[in-house]
Amino acid sequence: MSRSRILGIFVVAAVALATGFLVAGQVRAELLTPSNQLARYQALVRSVQDLESTNESARAKIAALRADIDALEGAAAQRSATTQALKDQVADLRTHAGLTALHGPGVEVGLANGIPGPDQGGQAGYLIDYQDVQDVVNLLFAHGAEGVSVSGRRITPLSAFSGSEGEVVIDQGPPLTAPIKVLAVGDRNQMVTALDDPSSLPDLRDRVVRFQVVMAVSGSPDVKLPAYDSSLQIPHVSTP
Amino acid sequence: MSAPPRRPAAARRRSGRAIEIWLIALLVALVATVQIRSQAEVERSLVGTDTTTLAFLIDDLHRANDALSAETADLTQRKAALQSGGSSAADQELSAEANRLRAIEGLVPVHGPGIVMVVDASGLQALDLQDAVNNLSAAGAEAIDVNDHRVAMGVPILQTPGGVTIDGSLVMPPWTISVIGDANRLAEAADLMTQQMRGDRRVRQATYRVEADVRIGSVVTQRPFVYANQT
Repeated sequence: MSRSRILGIFVVAAVALATGFLVAGQVRAELLTPSNQLARYQALVRSVQDLESTNESARAKIAALRADIDALEGAAAQRSATTQALKDQVADLRTHAGLTALHGPGVEVGLANGIPGPDQGGQAGYLIDYQDVQDVVNLLFAHGAEGVSVSGRRITPLSAFSGSEGEVVIDQGPPLTAPIKVLAVGDRNQMVTALDDPSSLPDLRDRVVRFQVVMAVSGSPDVKLPAYDSSLQIPHVSTP
Repeated sequence: MSAPPRRPAAARRRSGRAIEIWLIALLVALVATVQIRSQAEVERSLVGTDTTTLAFLIDDLHRANDALSAETADLTQRKAALQSGGSSAADQELSAEANRLRAIEGLVPVHGPGIVMVVDASGLQALDLQDAVNNLSAAGAEAIDVNDHRVAMGVPILQTPGGVTIDGSLVMPPWTISVIGDANRLAEAADLMTQQMRGDRRVRQATYRVEADVRIGSVVTQRPFVYANQT
């Protein structure tokens, strides 16, 4: 066997060895890791789905229990004038707290994501986020709204908005994503005027121009709001 | 008949080397393809939500579902009391709920554990106060007061030429924000908020303290509904 042949075999063996290490490295570093990542990701997604399903059924149960309690109180009120007077008081308080479905004249505000563009400040400006919804709801309450709901979630005196980019979490509900529909019952003209005012909602209006974020306002003679269907507990509050 | 001419040794060597090179190229191509496909698969599956966001979401949903469970237990108990008792049971339940709803709507003075935050700044806007109130509400605030003005969702916080108003009353800095709720959760939120505020050049002072009994004496004046009707 010539020297050049032996050298050739060594070169090929070295390259094969390097390739073998490369393949093994790939398998350990990349092929298995993505499959583990996928499995872990899928497990997280399943957890979210299970929790959302539990959340939905719990809220349905709460709504049913509140209806049952209302019926039982109604039956008791028919037997006692005192109970009837108390029930009337509570009915008014429940209406203001968002625990009763409402309807009346109002507005609908549709919010939808825009088109991705060059971001500023590391924020995805084309996405509708919880602060947009918070700003719209605050504006509506400040200009004649008597009740507000956001994509089927009724707003209460204790309501809060949170969420990461593109997600809107309201109270104990699962996250909402755009398109978001904000409904308000109240002084329709005052609300429409406030929403149309070019000086209101400056951040949202700016992103309407820059990212084509959608903010569509329409008045309606009869807007329907659902009742609040989550927890309204105040375990840390005492009255003197 | 003579045997077919054998290929020269040099030609055989060249052919062998070509095969070896092709084999190596094939292996490299295979590894590259698998690598690219694996990466693409991961990227496809992670579109939209990353695992950190999912983990936070799971945490939030657990907390939300715990709160819903507590509400369900409370309502079940109230239903059982109404079923077993007569009008007196109904009166008791209705009175208790009326008191609770008055506290929720800010119609009566309240007290309880919580935090008191003090923010002294010039140039802060209504949006800053709205954000602060929302952050505290998201951290479980059950009652909030700013400079002796009760605040709840629906109470207007507006920007006017004279400054920030709460339900029509001017609220000048420093803002003292008193909050009742789970003191640990509120303190976590207040800690983050004050840290952020101290990075804001407009803010002169941003502090908070945890208190065992925060007293809120201010109340909201409720206006009757004019447009809304019960369904």
